[in-house]
Amino acid sequence: MGVRDFLARHITRRVNVYRVDDFSIEPPEVHKNMKRVETFSMRPSIPAEVSRPFDFGEFTEKVKRPAVNVKFSGKGIKAKNIRVKRYVKEDIKTHKYQLMRKPKTWTMLKQVQALPQERANILRYMKKKPELSGGGVILACYGPVVEGAVLKLALNKQRGTLLVWYKPGSRQLKARNVYLVRRLGLGEKPEWRWE
Amino acid sequence: MASPNNTLGYIVIDGTETQIRGAALITDAKGFPLDFTRTDPLRPDQLSRILYGEAFGKYAKEKLILESLLDAVETDPQLWICNDPDILSPLREKSRVKTVMLEESPHVPLDAKGHIETTADPGVFLIQANENGAPMRAEFPGGIRPDEIQQTAAILTEAAGTMDVLEPFVRLDKALSFLASGAR
Repeated sequence: MGVRDFLARHITRRVNVYRVDDFSIEPPEVHKNMKRVETFSMRPSIPAEVSRPFDFGEFTEKVKRPAVNVKFSGKGIKAKNIRVKRYVKEDIKTHKYQLMRKPKTWTMLKQVQALPQERANILRYMKKKPELSGGGVILACYGPVVEGAVLKLALNKQRGTLLVWYKPGSRQLKARNVYLVRRLGLGEKPEWRWE
Repeated sequence: MASPNNTLGYIVIDGTETQIRGAALITDAKGFPLDFTRTDPLRPDQLSRILYGEAFGKYAKEKLILESLLDAVETDPQLWICNDPDILSPLREKSRVKTVMLEESPHVPLDAKGHIETTADPGVFLIQANENGAPMRAEFPGGIRPDEIQQTAAILTEAAGTMDVLEPFVRLDKALSFLASGAR
């Protein structure tokens, strides 16, 4: 404040007002912190004809000399030291499901012919017990059995059944019952009788 | 006396959901085997069982096992006998031979040999084929004529004079168990 202003303010009670038009403050500089990064498209400019999985084979074939720094190797692709995993094309396979088929058939006649037939004891069903020639007590009765065709008879003691093996090729058809009989008397053993 | 061509045919289809197999046995009048055919086991996978659903068992028995057996049998018997109601009608339709399903019955013996008695179940009869023993429970396919029932009963009665008519099922079961055990 000058002398003139001091006197004017105390004597005349006036204050000089000055207009300031010139601000010399410079606006701050603005710096863009963005970097330009070069990008390379890996996509070939091949028009898509159909929608299907990406075909790496077509890609290598059509882009013979890449315009960017992309290296192709057998192991994969390197683009500026960034390893790109190899894309392996895999076709989507469809499998025809085989529904159940008729099983194979086999003939096993000999094995089955070797199996014996089994006869159960029918004594309990007999309305009238037969009187056997020669006497004795009937322990069991098995039938019908074709006597003339019999190859072998065996008693299955566990099941109380008679096992019958027939001669293959026998044409005999006359069937009878076979009885297991015990004669009365000491030391008598059971015996088979045809009636 | 039974004629030489008095043959009986037996069919058994047995197994579980994971393995089914079948066998057919043709016997002469005394029960001696004249022909025996069996199938390889049918082993359906889980997907097959899902795809076929409820129809799986029926389809496997009828279409695959039964048809295979009938195709393989060289000479048709005069009567097919089965023990499974599922294959009774298909067996009749496919073989065009008289067919019956036979089982033992707990019934007391009927009056005389050759006697037939009706039961409460339609198509089911009791047949007294032998002189000594309980009558057999005989189930016939639907729509069968009465004279065919009589003819079948006559065949069974004649056969029972020289063999145990139900016994071949025992041998077939044994044969299938033997095959299922893996032994050949």
